[in-house]
Amino acid sequence: MLRAQLQSFTRRRSFIFASLTLLAILCFLAVSRLVTRFGEQEKALARHMYALGQSEQAAGQPERALEAYRAALLYDRDNFQYQLSLARALRDSGRTEEAETYLLRLWEANPQDGAVNLALGRLAARRGSVEGALHYYHNAIYGIWSANAESARNDAEFELIEFLIKAGAEPQAQAELITLAARHPNDNDEDINMRIAQLFMQVHDYEHALTAFQLVWERDRGNAAAVAGAGDAAFALARFRKAESYLRTALKLNPNDAHSSDLLQMTNTILAADPFARGVTEAESVRRIRSAFEIAGARLESCAKQKNVDLTNAAVPTGPLVTLRLRWLTMKSPMKNSNFSSDFAGASGSPMDLVADIEQETATACGEPSGMDKALLLMAQGHSSSDIGENK
Amino acid sequence: MTSQAGISEKQAKRPGVDTFRNEDHFFLFLAVFIGIFSGLAVVCFRLAIDWTRVGLLGPAPQPHDLRLLVVPTVVSLFLAVLVIHVFPSARDSGVSQTKAALYIFNGYIPFRTAIGKFICAALAIGAGHSLGPEDPSLQIGAAIASGLGRRMSFSREKLRLLAPVGAAAGLGAAFNAPISAVLFVIEEVIGRWSAGILGSVVLSAISSVVVVRWFLGSQPLFRIPPVASMRPVELVAYAVLGLAGGLAAVIFAKTIGYLRPRLRAWPRWTQYFLPAGAGLLIGLMGYFGTPQIMGAGYQYIDEAMHGQFTWQILAILAGLKILATILSFITRTPGGVFAPTLFIGAMMGGAIGGIEHHFYPHLAGSTATYALVGMGVLFAGFLRVPLTSVFMVLEVSGNYSIIVPVILANTIAYVISRSLQPTPIFDLLARQDGLELPSLEEQRDEDVLKVEDAMESPDGPVLNAEETVAAANLSTEKSSAEVFLVRMSPTGWNSVTRDLLRQWMGEGKAEMTLGSVLPSGRLPHLHPDYPLEMALRYVYQTPLVPVVSRADFRKLEGVISSHAVLERYHVVSRENL
Repeated sequence: MLRAQLQSFTRRRSFIFASLTLLAILCFLAVSRLVTRFGEQEKALARHMYALGQSEQAAGQPERALEAYRAALLYDRDNFQYQLSLARALRDSGRTEEAETYLLRLWEANPQDGAVNLALGRLAARRGSVEGALHYYHNAIYGIWSANAESARNDAEFELIEFLIKAGAEPQAQAELITLAARHPNDNDEDINMRIAQLFMQVHDYEHALTAFQLVWERDRGNAAAVAGAGDAAFALARFRKAESYLRTALKLNPNDAHSSDLLQMTNTILAADPFARGVTEAESVRRIRSAFEIAGARLESCAKQKNVDLTNAAVPTGPLVTLRLRWLTMKSPMKNSNFSSDFAGASGSPMDLVADIEQETATACGEPSGMDKALLLMAQGHSSSDIGENK
Repeated sequence: MTSQAGISEKQAKRPGVDTFRNEDHFFLFLAVFIGIFSGLAVVCFRLAIDWTRVGLLGPAPQPHDLRLLVVPTVVSLFLAVLVIHVFPSARDSGVSQTKAALYIFNGYIPFRTAIGKFICAALAIGAGHSLGPEDPSLQIGAAIASGLGRRMSFSREKLRLLAPVGAAAGLGAAFNAPISAVLFVIEEVIGRWSAGILGSVVLSAISSVVVVRWFLGSQPLFRIPPVASMRPVELVAYAVLGLAGGLAAVIFAKTIGYLRPRLRAWPRWTQYFLPAGAGLLIGLMGYFGTPQIMGAGYQYIDEAMHGQFTWQILAILAGLKILATILSFITRTPGGVFAPTLFIGAMMGGAIGGIEHHFYPHLAGSTATYALVGMGVLFAGFLRVPLTSVFMVLEVSGNYSIIVPVILANTIAYVISRSLQPTPIFDLLARQDGLELPSLEEQRDEDVLKVEDAMESPDGPVLNAEETVAAANLSTEKSSAEVFLVRMSPTGWNSVTRDLLRQWMGEGKAEMTLGSVLPSGRLPHLHPDYPLEMALRYVYQTPLVPVVSRADFRKLEGVISSHAVLERYHVVSRENL
């Protein structure tokens, strides 16, 4: 009787429903436990494979590293770090397209991630795409970084600038540098300011370079590189007196600095040859002009010889060298005159203008000069590009 | 006080009790539980495969590792013993077995089959056989459903339907794709569109997918890189892919169809060594450089989509995977062909995309797009489930932007495959096993006769209910017919015989209207587009069945009689002969 009642009860659908619910809950709990354990073991396996990948990559085995990273992702497929490492390993092993596909997917998921954008920027740089590099590097610079954000941003910015310089995109590089310098107006990090100054030099922005070197130098009077850099920048700006001062200081701090030594020597030559330098007497000025005039004439003749140009047939000008020779000959007789003064100016300009023209033209036609000719050329360039008065 | 059904009124008002007493409602509840239990089983099954693979082949199988040769061979020997002596039903296609349960065995699938499939397929796939977990998952789900249903007092019809409900749950969980699972079960397992079971199938598929997502995450099976928008002219490139996929599917299916029965006919002792031979050959392929073809290979599909292989490698992988899958399948190693089909399709698609890009670099489609379309192409061509193939691609990728190329390429592959290989692979396997199971594709081929094919014009006049008996008698006098249709008011149809009209005249009802003297019942009616077999239900109840317009039920399109129906079937059978 009791058994029949029990059978009848267990056949009721409400009982079955309740039993199934209970069974489902129990199974759910059991499977949860299983999946958790499984997940932990998978994560451990993934970590192991990732570590293996990193050690392979460090050992210069990118292919093996790739396999290890892939295995790591097999067990933890959504791990961002593993995915990024795989993409980087792909890039490092020259599989640019594969790396890009991977990175683009990561970018889709995290468009603001600094590391992903940096990796994509590097790929674009490797392809030589200035536009792409600018896009992704900018995203990286202004993106989100999980750790050491400021340092990562600076590194990304420097990388971008270096790429732009290499790619010949100097205006963009200069713009980036100005932005970077503006972000570090009073930065105490000498390394950053030095790097900025050196990069300004590379993009031929000597004014900003000089300012940046001076900034470092003012804060650290023992920094030979900074003062040498300032001398270099001042020299490039044709501020030879300032350059001389910085370079001399640089050599005091570091006597083995061959570059500064050469520059100082040239600076001294220029200052010694400059007829309009401060404190030079009229007689000395005339002497310097005559000397420069003779040196330029000799340079013109040697260049013409090198280029097989006949300067004797000066009656009919057939080229720039012949024309210069004609001007030089025209000015030669007033130069010998005892009444000649430093402010003399003939029909074709002053003697120093002619010297400048000759040095520039011969530099173009026959290559960079050396010695006094180089000094005269630099002086000429300095007179045309900088404030002459600085040297006075 | 009790109602007719024996339920007290108090009980009848309680919705829960009422719900449980209704078999249909309880069936729906049970479908949810089937989904939950199938989902849990599939989660465990996937973990079992993964850990078997890690345990047997290591976390990252590499070429020139001796394990790649030893493991598939030795494990296959053990598997052969297992399936011959312990789990004989674990061999062969789970789809065909589930279908057989539905149509032949009243929904009965032994629970031992589920256990056998679980253990054997996990071992086979984990050891590197080129097979997938979906087919076994489908059968595990069906076996769970069958097991649960047998403990309930369901009607035979409901018991039968439990197998496809479980199959949808199992497949949905395996693919993490409920729509594809539902469509596959309708297209391949049930073989017909049936509204009666659709609700249960959908419920079970969804609940199983929810369970799987709860445990394993909700991300789609494959992560698709950004898909570039394409110009319409680029569809030509995908049409080429459809063409190649259709031909590959035919080669794949024909080879299996040719070799499988021949290997089965070999002496019994050879059956112990066939899976091991297949395992050794597959291991050799892995050992000499392509471990990617071993196992289900989902991770490599993912890598292919992310451009990790050149088109040459993709082409090699597609070719070797076809070979490896044929080897595993014809030796009756437990496991399914869904994952290998996706793998082959993805690799082939990627390779064809790569070749097309080589010649036409301006094409916008990436390797991922071609791989994705390729998966659908082989699914449509090999498994012959065109609808499922489209939705499967969309669901497993979570990407709807490539629907047009998917439909185009799948259709081309399906048409080619159907032309060159008339019998779909699952039907072919079932026939080789001595089972003749219905399929949706066969139904598509049949010309279904409709009511309009047998419909005739009425012999006599059509009477109206407002007419008097005398008027009706007069209008029918000149007709040779014995039965006349009466249009009732405001709607409906009835009929009256000549004898009855005369009888009413004799009884003095001449001035009464037909509507007032006719019995209150109405004739059943048909519409011209109904299947003719529906008319058979009525033509023996009444000599004339009105065929009326769907727009106006009072408008008579024709009549159907038993004679007309039988005559039509005679004509068709003579034409077929």
